Amino acid sequence: MTKFWYIAWHEYSRHVFRKRFIFALLSVPFFLTLTVALVILIVWMQSDPTPIGYIDRSNLLANPLPQPAVKFPERNVSMLAYMDEASANADLQAGKIQAYYLVPKDYLETGQVEVIFLKELNGIAAQQFNSFLTTNLLLNQPPEIANRLLEGNELVVQSMDKSREASQNRFINIIFPMVAGIIFIVGMSTSSGYLMQAVVEEKENRTMEIMVTSVSPNQLMSGKVIADIVIGVTQLLVWTIFLLLVLVIGKNYFSFLSGFQLSGEIIAIILAVMIPAFIMISGLMAAVGATVSEASEGQQMMGLFTLPIWLPYILIAVFIQNPNSPLAIGMSLFPLTAPMTIALRIGFTTIPTWQVIASVVILVLSAIGAVWLAGRAFRLGMLRYGQRLRLKEIFSHQEV
Amino acid sequence: MPTVEISHISKSFGTLKAVDDVSFDVEKGEIFGLLGPNGAGKTTAIRVLLDIFKPDSGSISVLGGSMTEAKKDRIGYMPEERGMYQDIPLDRCLIYLSTLKGLTTMEARSRMTEYLERFDLASSRSKKVKELSKGMQQKAQLITTLIHKPELVIIDEPFSGLDPINTQMVKDLLREQRDQGVTILMSTHQMHQVEELCDRIVLIDHGRTVLYGSLDEIRRQFSGHAVLVRTPDALPALPGVESTKQHNSSAYRLNLSPSTKSQDVLRNLVDRGIQVDQFEIAAPTLDEIFIQVVTANDLQQGERP
Repeated sequence: MTKFWYIAWHEYSRHVFRKRFIFALLSVPFFLTLTVALVILIVWMQSDPTPIGYIDRSNLLANPLPQPAVKFPERNVSMLAYMDEASANADLQAGKIQAYYLVPKDYLETGQVEVIFLKELNGIAAQQFNSFLTTNLLLNQPPEIANRLLEGNELVVQSMDKSREASQNRFINIIFPMVAGIIFIVGMSTSSGYLMQAVVEEKENRTMEIMVTSVSPNQLMSGKVIADIVIGVTQLLVWTIFLLLVLVIGKNYFSFLSGFQLSGEIIAIILAVMIPAFIMISGLMAAVGATVSEASEGQQMMGLFTLPIWLPYILIAVFIQNPNSPLAIGMSLFPLTAPMTIALRIGFTTIPTWQVIASVVILVLSAIGAVWLAGRAFRLGMLRYGQRLRLKEIFSHQEV
Repeated sequence: MPTVEISHISKSFGTLKAVDDVSFDVEKGEIFGLLGPNGAGKTTAIRVLLDIFKPDSGSISVLGGSMTEAKKDRIGYMPEERGMYQDIPLDRCLIYLSTLKGLTTMEARSRMTEYLERFDLASSRSKKVKELSKGMQQKAQLITTLIHKPELVIIDEPFSGLDPINTQMVKDLLREQRDQGVTILMSTHQMHQVEELCDRIVLIDHGRTVLYGSLDEIRRQFSGHAVLVRTPDALPALPGVESTKQHNSSAYRLNLSPSTKSQDVLRNLVDRGIQVDQFEIAAPTLDEIFIQVVTANDLQQGERP
């Protein structure tokens, strides 16, 4: 048993403490952070804090209240009242204001306002003037009515049995399982890739003979598979922590994140599907590693598995339109497409319990099969240097 | 009781019979040579002995019984295909491989330090394995073979890639191990090393045993009925000598008739006043025996002219 842990620790530390791994691990949060930072920067730069002027001939803005404060990264624009167009024009020419509005006398009847600018006013600033105008129009209304009108409605779509609902503001709850699924699959693909590499490397390095005369093939293989799973978990843990941090912190700044709620049921289903899927993919990758004689050859064979795993992602539009179509159900049951299909469907529909159970059972059986296959391929292929093991041989009755 | 007992093992790969009814014993505390031309089945025999391959037939006893996981810690194996993890520092690689032979990290570290010093590798311990020269990697591989103090050492071509100084060091090391009671099974092509080190040998060709026994016995068996005489004088015709051949610039090979004894020839030479600088039974070198046996076997198999 001790040797098994030595193998697992060796494989784990060898990959996890490598610069390449740390780089890959941090690159996902890094690029996400970079993207978010860029978006924030762009919004901040777009929102020009130069004041906006207005000439109020309707007398609706005689004693105005300021518009509600905007959230970072948007910047607040202050509103300046002008008596006449000449002074407003002078300030516009001088760059003291970015534009000015003319609210006509018959504004309440026509709803028309005029805006004068030198450079087209951006949406963020225009939105703030609208908000300023609305706030002051609602001045005499009870606060709860004024607030409701200012915040707008939330459209909630509910399923017939009321078990599921979706709304614009809770869009993130649909996206979350999808993102979690993608992260899981990226994590397991990369760490299984490491496993395949580790197995091929042992053949390329010719360390295999030393290994099998020191430990049993089972100890060797299970040590490697466990290390691979822990590598994957390490990766997922770092990314999950990052993602949760983004959601928790981002909730305060981004309205589309504010409806985020963690659903225990969704997490349980994702885990039930992803764990056997992870073992299955690891087993398949180890089998590939044992079969081929060079890492490059292994990469090509990996493609055969990667394609069906990502296929549901390509068909995402089909799943959104009809998440319970026969295609979606079929792909939820086929072991290689199941992980991604379930993760995509779960956001849009309530997957019937029998489908979830069937999918998990099939995945568990596939995982057992893949580990068996890996063990057999390994015993047959471990000392084949420069010669690929054929599929026929793995399934033949040959004694190993 | 022999440390290794191989009894009538056979192993085929498809239609190729790699090992065909091979038997030999390796006694405790001896250096035993496993010889044979390329492709003779030596490596397959070793892999069967180590339970990497299951034999099609025959039985193997190692350290008093069949191979078990626990016995792997009592065996040191240096395969023909040398293998080390290339991308990690030497000390980490050695410690890892030692722990897989049952040593704790602490034990592995202290024994490794001794060996690194002895093998002149101490200054390279933090270097990545791939940065070491071939000879250095060879020495590192030897450390992994011996670090756990095995009772049985199986070593394939121990001298390949070593310069004369390191060759001598490895020879001394193997003798030292033997003197400590370690059993060594060595497979090599370098016949002069076998002559120097081995007590007994087995020669296999085309998967079959063609020679087996103690080195002295085998050489006697192949010595024929001839003597070598080194003399500066010309040799006259002598009674009982069927033919005389120049062996080298100063020595002759005298083939004797079946009834002639070597002592009679020596007496005749002395009686005739011929200066005898050297007189010995013409025993062939292991190289010559090897070539003779393998060529004869090939002819029998109809392979080479």
